[in-house]
Amino acid sequence: MAIQKTLCKKVLPLAILFTLLISNLFAQKIVRYDLYVKDTIINFTGKAKRAIAVNGQIPMPTLTFTEGDTAEIYVHNEMNEETSLHWHGLFLPNKEDGVPNLTQMPIKPHTTHIYRFPIIQNGTHWYHSHSGLQEQIGMYGNFVMLKKTNDPTFRKGIDDLPTVPILLSEWTNIKPENIHRMLHNANDYPALKKNAVQSYGEAIKVGHFKTKLKNEWKRMLAMDVSDVYYDKILMNGKPSTDLTRIEGKQLKGGDKVRLRISNGGASSYFWLTYAGGKITVVANDGNDVEPVEVDRLIIAVSETYDVVVTIPAENTAFEFLATTEDRTNSASYYIGNGIKQLVSPQPRLKYFEGMKMMNDMMKMNGDLDDMGMNMSLNQMDMNVVMYPEITGDAKPKQDDKDPNRYNANALADIVTLNYAMLRSPINTALPKDAPVKELKFTLTGNMNRYVWSLDNKVVSEADKILIKKGENIRIVIYNNSMMRHPMHLHGHDFRLLNGQGDNAPLKNIVDIMPMETDTLEFNANVEGDWFFHCHILYHMMSGMGRVFTYENQAANPLIPNPKLAQRKLFADDRKMHFMSQNDFATNGNDGEMMLQNTRWSIGSEWRLGYHDMHGYETETHIGRYLGKMQWLMPFVGFDWRYRKMGIDEQEKNLFGQTNTKDNRAVLSLGVNYTLPMLVRFQTEIFTDGIVRLQLMREDIPVTKRLRFAFMVNTDKEYMAGLNYIFNRNFSLRTHYDSDMGFGAGLTFSY
Amino acid sequence: MKSIILLAAVVLLSTTACQSQINNAKTETVKVYGNCGMCETTIEKAANKKKISKADWNEETKMASITYDSKKTTLDAVLKNIALAGYDNQSFLAPDAAYDKLPGCCKYDREKKQVAIVTQPAKDTTKPMQNHGSHQHDGMNNTSQETNQLTVVFDTYFALKDALVKTDGNTASAKAKDLETAINAVKMDKLPMNVHTVWMKVLNDLKEDAEHINGTKDISHQRDHFMSLSKNMYELIKVAKPAETVYYQFCPMANDGKGANWLSKESGVKNPYYGSQMLTCGKTVETIKQ
Ligand SMILES: [Cu+2]
Ligand SMILES: [Cu+2]
Repeated sequence: MAIQKTLCKKVLPLAILFTLLISNLFAQKIVRYDLYVKDTIINFTGKAKRAIAVNGQIPMPTLTFTEGDTAEIYVHNEMNEETSLHWHGLFLPNKEDGVPNLTQMPIKPHTTHIYRFPIIQNGTHWYHSHSGLQEQIGMYGNFVMLKKTNDPTFRKGIDDLPTVPILLSEWTNIKPENIHRMLHNANDYPALKKNAVQSYGEAIKVGHFKTKLKNEWKRMLAMDVSDVYYDKILMNGKPSTDLTRIEGKQLKGGDKVRLRISNGGASSYFWLTYAGGKITVVANDGNDVEPVEVDRLIIAVSETYDVVVTIPAENTAFEFLATTEDRTNSASYYIGNGIKQLVSPQPRLKYFEGMKMMNDMMKMNGDLDDMGMNMSLNQMDMNVVMYPEITGDAKPKQDDKDPNRYNANALADIVTLNYAMLRSPINTALPKDAPVKELKFTLTGNMNRYVWSLDNKVVSEADKILIKKGENIRIVIYNNSMMRHPMHLHGHDFRLLNGQGDNAPLKNIVDIMPMETDTLEFNANVEGDWFFHCHILYHMMSGMGRVFTYENQAANPLIPNPKLAQRKLFADDRKMHFMSQNDFATNGNDGEMMLQNTRWSIGSEWRLGYHDMHGYETETHIGRYLGKMQWLMPFVGFDWRYRKMGIDEQEKNLFGQTNTKDNRAVLSLGVNYTLPMLVRFQTEIFTDGIVRLQLMREDIPVTKRLRFAFMVNTDKEYMAGLNYIFNRNFSLRTHYDSDMGFGAGLTFSY
Repeated sequence: MKSIILLAAVVLLSTTACQSQINNAKTETVKVYGNCGMCETTIEKAANKKKISKADWNEETKMASITYDSKKTTLDAVLKNIALAGYDNQSFLAPDAAYDKLPGCCKYDREKKQVAIVTQPAKDTTKPMQNHGSHQHDGMNNTSQETNQLTVVFDTYFALKDALVKTDGNTASAKAKDLETAINAVKMDKLPMNVHTVWMKVLNDLKEDAEHINGTKDISHQRDHFMSLSKNMYELIKVAKPAETVYYQFCPMANDGKGANWLSKESGVKNPYYGSQMLTCGKTVETIKQ
């Protein structure tokens, strides 16, 4: 007893001392942030609009840590909707990754969720909501992890420079849900706003009529390098910022500044240019690269670049400019003190040159043909044909033999960064003895219906991809779609095989342009369900992604009901998109209504006269799109019509079948097929034995705002009309219809 | 009937006139570089945005009077467009490419930038710096030449101030005459643009105050005008940067207890508003360095 007591007395203080020592030696510093997510009203353009602010600000606060810290982030959801936060580019336990319905359940309204993870890397990253379209309206923020000062990779002259994190983003006054819906209905209003309709009229003016014709022959709608119109471009929440001091120290001529730039735009790529000379790229996606000097670079959606710029003169501020890839909008940082030296704006795109290039690449079956160029790593940029600063203002002299005809750096004296120029300062080779698993993906898509997928399957249509811990995973990706896609892997950095051998750069996003093939590899070293997806928000929400999962991994405690979670995850790309329009015309109402998703279409058309002679008619079709290009759609239908003998009495169709129009209610089977020139060919057989063939097209762009429509069928019905578009919702329409005669009116579209 | 038509026409005309007007209009006059009539067209076109902004550029003075809707845009936004068209101005320098594209007759003389010594990263300190040094010198000469001509103006002002300190109405009147001459001798189009802008703003008042001080020997009337003269001189010296350090000083008792300012080359207070009565009343409120 006595012995025990003395032992206690002696050991206890010692034990306390020991624990203290241990905690001092090993316990990391805990860095806590509290984030209050709240609805807000914001006014970027003179119109008050809904947005989401965190701690009262857009972008969300910059979170700063030092490698070795432990992050503790309290997310207080003060909205009436679910949310989540994803830590983009971070290595962390899967349950902290912040993908709702995959790595955790959504953060319910008016609850608090704690993310807690050790900071085991350094570099420039960012964070954003992974729920719905919240990222578009404010939920993005800088996430900076500093090197420890005794880090062996600490670079004097780079890591000790005055530094500013810059988050790029966009703002639109249109609700993102509405943008998503409009994209799925091929609404060309954004093109109109951007002056990128590329109509026949505009084509003829610049001598490109044949180009336009060939483009439509190959069943392409006019396309831009990006498809959303934005009202404002923001750098740290502002279109224009004077950077006169950093951490209280006034900037002066001769100073070097490091910018940690993240692209938090939902769908915009940005060109980065600087008025004060060369831009030195020192890191990419949070990983150091050997410094490389360029005149400009493009930053893909969700990529990060660290760049160093110099202030070359006294009493002058130099513009650092971020311009959207379509060159319609930009934001500026003025670095330094004094009068502002501007940089040349990026000139407007030569759209019809782009269209011509696309025509050459597109085969009749919708596949792309790289004509043996083996493109990769952004080195050959087909878009240079549209860049006046590379290929001149006029039409380029056509030289199809020149192997460098898409190589910006060979064509012009300005240096544009590409992935082949990125070199890691350290050896990044994977463990040599690990088994290798090779995967191949083809990026697929259909611009007209805004379906984006991998191997023609969206997330909800594909199984998870099983990998084993310890394996080296090698992925070869080919882009067979007409748009570029920034593919992002959660939870791991991959090596991009770019010809730099053991010093291949580490990245977590790879931007793949049409027809490019890129190879990347990573060591599977942390279990969990990891999302691999296109980071263009509207592509991701359309299902462009896959989930990697480890064999025999432990269950995620934050997903109590995996079946329910999966159903909710799949709901994103299964969503039906609604559109409708009605023409209020002098001779009746003409309209349609449609619900569509990746594969299904439910549509109703109507023609309602103002009296019995003109008749009333509706057709409803439920169909499924088939094939990668979705040109074919078989459907079942229901028709109803009522009419008293009217102005155009056609009782017999072309096949001599008698067709009573007075009162008819029939079911039908049919098929839609999109012909060259984007003409829709419809064959339909009705329960009363009647057969009807029909050709129609509604959106032939005559001029920027004028559309021509026609329809003709074997019931000897026909229609021709002109539409003049005023704005997103209204247009003026005049048409002649065999049933209802001549009419003019106002069309409302939603 | 006719009168109705006439009335309708008038109403129509007046409404169209109203429509082209700029709401919440604010007008500011700023320096915009340029040469000729062709420049004028380009500058005004670049500034013109229907119902939002417009400009009127004067070929003689190189000053643009810019009117804009202060709720829809800013002066800087208009000036940025002018710079993108190739014309340096108070706030922005045109991109080199835009300047190069100007027709020959429009290629105005550009102010040279003062090249900075680039702070070399630590590992590169062994590299010789002489080259950068000499560059910097060229630039310095360039800027000082153009501000030099204001030095005479400042110096006569200081002489006038000293006369007032001594309560010497005769000398003050004579110095004010010198000041008038110095002001008239300034070639304003040779001034750097930010200085030019302020110069245009204060020029008339400077002249008027100098005239009044010259026209009388009544010291209290001279001191009244010296108050506004000092205020304008301060605005000018702040952008022009004096050759040596200048002190902006303040006496709370002057101007019937409302207080008044003056500029001085010495840090010690010698009050020009009271002279020997209260020679050391006041304090330095701002130090303006070169
Ligand atoms: Cu992300
Ligand atoms: Cu994509």
